[in-house]
Amino acid sequence: MDYILHVLIMALIYTVFASSLNLQLGLAGLYNFGHVAFFALGAYGSALLTVNGLPVAVGWIAAIAIAGLLGLVIAYPLLRLTGDYFGVASLAFAEIIRILLLNERWLTKGPMGVPAIPRPTWLGMPATSLVQYLIIVIVASAAVLAVLVVVGRSPFGRFLKVIREDEEVARAFGRDIVSYKVRCVMVGAGAAGLAGAMWAHYVTYISPADFTIEVTILVLLSVVLGGRGTFAGPILGAFLVILVQEAVRFLPLPPEWGRLVVPIQGIIFGGVLVAMMILRPQGFIPEHRE
Amino acid sequence: MYYLELLINGIAAGGTYALFAVGLTMVYGIFRFINFAHGEMIAWGAYGVLLFLAPPFGLPLWLAIILALALTAGIALASERIAFRPLAGRAPLVLLIASIGVSFVLRGILQFIFGADLQSYGVEISGRIEIFGLVATYIQLAMLGLSLTFFAGLYVLLRFTLLGKTLRAVADNAELFGIMGLPLARVRLVVWSLGALFAATGGILLALDTNLEPYMGLTNLLKAFAAVLLGGAGNVFGALLGGLIIGVGENLGTAIISPGYKDLIAFAVVVIMLLFRPQGLFAVKSGVR
Repeated sequence: MDYILHVLIMALIYTVFASSLNLQLGLAGLYNFGHVAFFALGAYGSALLTVNGLPVAVGWIAAIAIAGLLGLVIAYPLLRLTGDYFGVASLAFAEIIRILLLNERWLTKGPMGVPAIPRPTWLGMPATSLVQYLIIVIVASAAVLAVLVVVGRSPFGRFLKVIREDEEVARAFGRDIVSYKVRCVMVGAGAAGLAGAMWAHYVTYISPADFTIEVTILVLLSVVLGGRGTFAGPILGAFLVILVQEAVRFLPLPPEWGRLVVPIQGIIFGGVLVAMMILRPQGFIPEHRE
Repeated sequence: MYYLELLINGIAAGGTYALFAVGLTMVYGIFRFINFAHGEMIAWGAYGVLLFLAPPFGLPLWLAIILALALTAGIALASERIAFRPLAGRAPLVLLIASIGVSFVLRGILQFIFGADLQSYGVEISGRIEIFGLVATYIQLAMLGLSLTFFAGLYVLLRFTLLGKTLRAVADNAELFGIMGLPLARVRLVVWSLGALFAATGGILLALDTNLEPYMGLTNLLKAFAAVLLGGAGNVFGALLGGLIIGVGENLGTAIISPGYKDLIAFAVVVIMLLFRPQGLFAVKSGVR
């Protein structure tokens, strides 16, 4: 039972994470390969504030703010780039953030990581049971997803699609395209920061090793698998990715093969990513086009 | 003296970065996409030697190296055939994402066979040479010598052979493939196996110098990418210079900043170059020069 709750919590956190990437990648066509940086900053921001005594709610709000602010700071320079160059620059940027987390020991404790991150409180008591945490995660994810849906359906979100389809046309409308993209990155970054905070307070121990490029690939896979540019796609993708990841643990492997779980996950995810690109690049839930 | 030794370390490291960069820049110049799986050629070259050194093969080092190079070239050609050829002509980003998938598969297989721990060949090549009080290890000399030899060979190939001229022509204008009836199959074979050969050689040298770990491909891919950007994408000889600049910069940098930030230099170069001079320091309009 606890295991099912664990899978649900992880899937919901990845749903928020994937949906936040979908805003950038699916709607605006910004191929952000460094999305893990926002997740990491949200996780670290909230963790460091709350281990020093602040309530978890403050930590989560701070996580959104810190990640969103970082989105603003990096979006301005990086958005001068397009296509695969933007992708590589964002990837390099995420690595820079990870190296900073690893080396600024006075703040992050370096490779030792941050232990004993508190769970949120539940009617004055710490939410120690998984059911309580699941309910908190459901409420928070529903709120974030609602915001993302509203943003996506608004004139702002529709114009992001115009930018994605044809930047020249978008420019011809006389709008400030960079400003649109910056706001898009900011909102996505803030939501990813909250996903990071929810994850940090769930696992209660984080270290820079948790925020490698592998995480970006996992969330990218969720979006591409489910269907970019749709709202249901990233949700389906995130659940599929987490389920596959967990299912590998139940393969009938001899116990001494435990170390093989990670490589098998890598082979499956990589293979699926290639197969999707060849067979169904639009994902399981294709975007509706008139 | 200390700085001169850092310089030597830097030049040796830079030579290997340049070897890594060749395949990346050639694929970008001719097939127009960033091949994220190229890093795994570095790792597979290094681990291939380990494979053939250990039982059941137990081969001598030189033979293991030759077989590892052949194995890596085979992997590169297979990945091209299975993943990239069906996607020819699609958006560069589709190919980039597919190459990320390929790199996951290749690294997964590597970890599946060899585990995630640090390993070494157990073959010690510990000789060193002293000139005017400066010390360089044999491995460092091999890094420098081999990368210069390889680039000289590449220069001859691109300048003076019909195939090299074909490569440069195709890089200039991809439509020539169809119009002139150029041998696409041979171009593919040469580009992918050459890139893998260069990367695997660099990976083996790196493993002889330090050790092996499954993520060595990914780490060095990002350095190679920095070298490619410095040299200008598609510019093979720019990549040599770019690699040397990154290697020297990293090693001299450790004299000023904490060694923990050594890797940061390459990434900072990537971001700065993309922002201010995406065409590279030694810009060519396009293609392999």
